[in-house]
Amino acid sequence: MKKSILKAISLLMVAILIMSCLSGCSKSAEKVAEDEKAPLGSTGSESSSSVKDEEITLTFWHTYGDAEEAQLKNEVLPMWEKSHPNIKIDAVRQDGGQFHQMIVTSFGTGMSPDVARVDIANIAAYAKQGGLVALSDYSDFSDLAKDYMDAPLSTNLYQGKYYGLPLDTNCKAAVINTNIMGELGINGAPTTMEEFIAAAKDRGSYSLNVSGVGDWDMYPYFWLFGGTLTDDGFTKATGYLDSEASVNAMKKIIELHDEKIFTIRDIDGSVDAWDGINSEYAMFFEGPWYFGSYDDCAAKGIIASTIPTFNGNSASVVGGEDIAVFATGKHPEVSYEFAKFMTSKDVQLAMLKSGQLPILKSLVNDEAITSNPVWSVYMKQLESAKARIPSPNNTAIQEIWSETVTSIFIDGVDPQSALSSAAARIDEELR
Amino acid sequence: MHKSAINSKKLKKGLRGWLTACPFILPGLILVGLFILYPMVFTIRISLSEYQIVQGKITFIGLQNFKNVLAGGSRFWYAYRNNILYAIVTVPFIILGGMLFSYLINNLKHGGSIFRVGFYLPVITSWVIVSLVFQYMFNNSDRGLINYLLVDVFHILDDYVPWLLREWSGNAAIWLMGIWKNMGWAMLIYLAALQGIPADYYEAAKLDGAGLWKSFAYITIPCLRPTTFYVMVNMIIGSFNVFIQVLMLTGGNPNGKTSALQYLLYDKAFNKFEFGEASAVGLISAVSIVILTLVLNKTFKLDSVEKEG
Repeated sequence: MKKSILKAISLLMVAILIMSCLSGCSKSAEKVAEDEKAPLGSTGSESSSSVKDEEITLTFWHTYGDAEEAQLKNEVLPMWEKSHPNIKIDAVRQDGGQFHQMIVTSFGTGMSPDVARVDIANIAAYAKQGGLVALSDYSDFSDLAKDYMDAPLSTNLYQGKYYGLPLDTNCKAAVINTNIMGELGINGAPTTMEEFIAAAKDRGSYSLNVSGVGDWDMYPYFWLFGGTLTDDGFTKATGYLDSEASVNAMKKIIELHDEKIFTIRDIDGSVDAWDGINSEYAMFFEGPWYFGSYDDCAAKGIIASTIPTFNGNSASVVGGEDIAVFATGKHPEVSYEFAKFMTSKDVQLAMLKSGQLPILKSLVNDEAITSNPVWSVYMKQLESAKARIPSPNNTAIQEIWSETVTSIFIDGVDPQSALSSAAARIDEELR
Repeated sequence: MHKSAINSKKLKKGLRGWLTACPFILPGLILVGLFILYPMVFTIRISLSEYQIVQGKITFIGLQNFKNVLAGGSRFWYAYRNNILYAIVTVPFIILGGMLFSYLINNLKHGGSIFRVGFYLPVITSWVIVSLVFQYMFNNSDRGLINYLLVDVFHILDDYVPWLLREWSGNAAIWLMGIWKNMGWAMLIYLAALQGIPADYYEAAKLDGAGLWKSFAYITIPCLRPTTFYVMVNMIIGSFNVFIQVLMLTGGNPNGKTSALQYLLYDKAFNKFEFGEASAVGLISAVSIVILTLVLNKTFKLDSVEKEG
């Protein structure tokens, strides 16, 4: 009797375990099936009238810093909630270092946010995976797109469609220690690289620093000295990256390195730029966040300036973030509304207070920007800033670039052969 | 007739036995199926396919992922080499260090507990925290302890070295961290094994005039042989799981020359969306571990060692 009761209990427990496992699987399978059935962008069949009636919570992932997050929570979200009382925004701050990995994981688990602030370099990769809603499919997109600056908008393009809206933009400009420049005999910021190189040549220690060999770090120098990566349509690197002009640009960087004017932290083991600019370096190139991180820049004689020209041209690299709507979200239309709201003039001006440079053409000459000694420099620098290669294989292209520069500086590979090999490999990634 | 009646009786008895055992076996079987067998089969499937994670679209492409992974110029071979080097370099140090320190601690009259805790502390300290300490030690310029000592204090080197961004110094930092972190575990296992060596052996050796070193060489080391094999097999297999050191210290730089298989897998899956190739790397690692275990078993005749132990 006792034995049969025990057996019955055991069987019951097994049955419960099997049922719970199966029900868990079937639920997730149903969800995947639903997601598969729904074509991208069409999940928004929900009418706006039904949206108005029901209470909705959108999850918004971002990687804002303290100041930006405070601005978002204290100024921007109250503006949204005032105009959309039934749509709550659950703004979740994620760790910037692992944000891309978080998004990849969320694709696999079906736990993606509704909307996210995404690095411009990753939009094409997420779009290729089918993770984002093509916002250019919405009827009002073409009118909306006219308000955005061209370079930030172009970062959302993948196979003829736009998968996000530009949210904030930035680029690298020159961060200058005027005291050390003074020691070199230059008053304030140098106008040309030729002037700077001549002055720094005999100093005996590094005056110009870059952190690493990656695209964000090295492209500005490569472009500044005349190098090119691909054709204008980003379809081919051969004939551009390995052209005479590109090889000469790389040789110029090597020459500055050999003359102890220019140091690459990750190659030479030198002091990091943010640290070294206080006492060792005369200049490095960085985004506007450097000035947002320190209140005492002016007191230390550190100023922002456009990157000195070489052969009459300045150069920089476009950075920034886009706002994207995720295909697995339940409310794509509402999410799109929120994305548009984040790019509206009032929000862009509100976020500018925390150093987020706007993406609207109408704000380029706004007094808030022109009157600020740092933001005005960065907006001016954006005119000569170029975008990195927009490709879903961006990570692989970054890797090829880093490997190439590393091989030149560490292994002493000839620049011509290194760039030719890189061009052929990048061609493969662009196919 | 009589025979078939016996057979049916046997069958019934067998079935009854199975039914009785089922409630006890099934939960475990289901869990193994769900969390081990299913992911394993799925990984094999993904390794032979192109996997689009959002749509869950799996397209069969045969052995293409394996071809890509094993192709010349791929970072795979650096990662594979580094896993083998990690085992070759760290395992002897862990075994010798663990054995030596456990022997010394075992012979201490006072303060044994303090040393036991001290040596075991690295094992229970978070990998991330230890990695941050190592990052500080191997930092660039005079901001890193090693550079500061070698260049500014002892003037052994003229220039600062980016230790974590060079192939061999980066690998050395990864090895050093592995040795430091795992030696305490080996020490504890040896310490337990030392309790099992009869004191008579040492007394007899002492009467024969053997000193501390001879006792260690001719009594301790041979008696610890089964434990040494156990530690060695664990550490060698464990060396295929190197990941956090690489992620935190070098990121595989420069150009993947300090990478390891688990880091390569992570990089392919989470940075490049190459889930097929990542699964292929995972499978190759798994097969390597199985082969290695079989070879170790055969070479060191672990079954007989266990019996001896």
